[in-house]
Amino acid sequence: MTHFNWLLDGSIVGVYLLATMAAGLMVRKYVSKVDHFLVAGREMNVYLGIASLAATEFGIVTAMYTAQAGYTRGFAGAVPGICNAVAMFVIGWTGFCVKPLRDSGVMTIPELFERRYGKFVRWLSGVVIVLGGLLNMGVFLRVGGQFLVVCCGMNLRYLELAMTVLLIGVAAYTILGGMLSVLVTDFLQFIVMSVGLLVVTFLVLHQVGWDKMVTTVQTNFGDGGFNPFVPKDLGWPFVLSNLLVNAAAVLTWQAVTARLLAAKDSKTGRKVFTGTAFFFICRWVIPGIWGIAALAMIEPSVVEKIGLQFGEKDGSLFAMPFLLSQIVPAGMMGLLVAAMLAADMSTDSSYMLTWGSVIYNDILAPFRKVAWSEKKGLLWNRCIIALIGVFLLIWGLWYKLEGNLWEYLQTTGTIYLASMTVLLIACCYWKRANNWGAIAAIVVGAVLPVLSLSLDLFVKVPALDAAGQALFKDGKAVLEGWAKHNIGEHLVTIATFAAVTVAMVIGSLLKPKPQRA
Amino acid sequence: MNISAMLTNHPFWGLLTLAVLVWYSTVTVYVGVRGFADIKQMLRSLKENHDEAD
Repeated sequence: MTHFNWLLDGSIVGVYLLATMAAGLMVRKYVSKVDHFLVAGREMNVYLGIASLAATEFGIVTAMYTAQAGYTRGFAGAVPGICNAVAMFVIGWTGFCVKPLRDSGVMTIPELFERRYGKFVRWLSGVVIVLGGLLNMGVFLRVGGQFLVVCCGMNLRYLELAMTVLLIGVAAYTILGGMLSVLVTDFLQFIVMSVGLLVVTFLVLHQVGWDKMVTTVQTNFGDGGFNPFVPKDLGWPFVLSNLLVNAAAVLTWQAVTARLLAAKDSKTGRKVFTGTAFFFICRWVIPGIWGIAALAMIEPSVVEKIGLQFGEKDGSLFAMPFLLSQIVPAGMMGLLVAAMLAADMSTDSSYMLTWGSVIYNDILAPFRKVAWSEKKGLLWNRCIIALIGVFLLIWGLWYKLEGNLWEYLQTTGTIYLASMTVLLIACCYWKRANNWGAIAAIVVGAVLPVLSLSLDLFVKVPALDAAGQALFKDGKAVLEGWAKHNIGEHLVTIATFAAVTVAMVIGSLLKPKPQRA
Repeated sequence: MNISAMLTNHPFWGLLTLAVLVWYSTVTVYVGVRGFADIKQMLRSLKENHDEAD
């Protein structure tokens, strides 16, 4: 029985939604150029940047997969957050790649690539970025809706309707105000989200208690619940792959880079990175604590039953929202739901604008033989965002996630993270880098994760326990994907980064040097 | 919330959790105040640019 009270909590959520929509729509009058729409006229300052980056990179989907990591791996599940924070701080502090990127004055990363690798690589990079980004974002809506259904006790039949209404609201202010609306609503959403996350975390720690959480982790995972190097399925490949993916995401994840490119200058952008770095630990530890609390308080059979309700084999994703539905009282529940909606809306709006900007700026670039007027550019940008919204709705309703959510996000992200990171580093720091190497890197970077994902989907082998014996459940052998069984997801990620680097070096060296006159 | 338990029972994760709660609370207030000033300044700059152009 959830404690969500439609009159009290519904009013809190309603006030938040009205305030957000009003703020988002109010600033649309300042948008008169494509530059305003995509990078807010490059007028973003440090503290607004920190609020916006934090709000963008924390959605309901984030809370769900980080809580799932806490539920299935204990405290060790929060290690990716530490990797992310270290990567962001070091990159912001040193200016590695981000300084030359911001100083170049481009609006997207592929635009920078054109200067070194030519028009075709710019277009191809745009395609890969949008493909990886949209597949990644495709699960956001469904997971967000599932959280609301479990947490508020909303009828499952209204899931699609709730998702659609939420998306239309976000799309409305994003289409009209672009990055300006995104920044202003992100700020408001950061405040609401942070207050909600903190209040609920204090409540969880008070209700469940630290000792009980530690004991639960020790009982379920032993020392491996505290140290990621102990469990066989984690170990150094888990830590290294997370360091690589998170460093790559800081450098080339377009939603993160958009803040750097909207900053007044590279110094401001770097301050945004160093100032936001520790938030990425919060982003994994806070929901991770909620996930561990769910493990301590909720019977596994209940969690499994909720999963089956959604047609999912694994119910671990729903343990955290179910716990919150049980322990958060009315009144505070409204704050929690408003906080999670704030988190989700800020992520959705930023991501729609981000992938839309790459489609407009880079994929459509070959079709702009002459410069478009500002009015035509704005119209195209708005249409692209609307179409992305339609895609998200269709994909979000159709695609059914199998397995661990974070691993799905890592795999779809790796389609472009590995190649774009190598291209960016080579573009900034290696004079021999050229279009041969760039194309080879993009192809290898896209093929390996897709091949791994396909092998996991279509070639199943029996899963084994620690003693090497086949696992059985309900009298049937438990099956898992071929790549996961024989190589492991983390090694696939590491191998992809290594192969992309080799492809870039060999491809670039194979191209004959131009003859000097 | 038992802070002494967090400092003695697996202190690495206990301290990290406490650091997260203190840092996040502080940053929320600080960024809340300074970020609002940033928004006002950003909109003022955009308005001035817009007026100069037109």
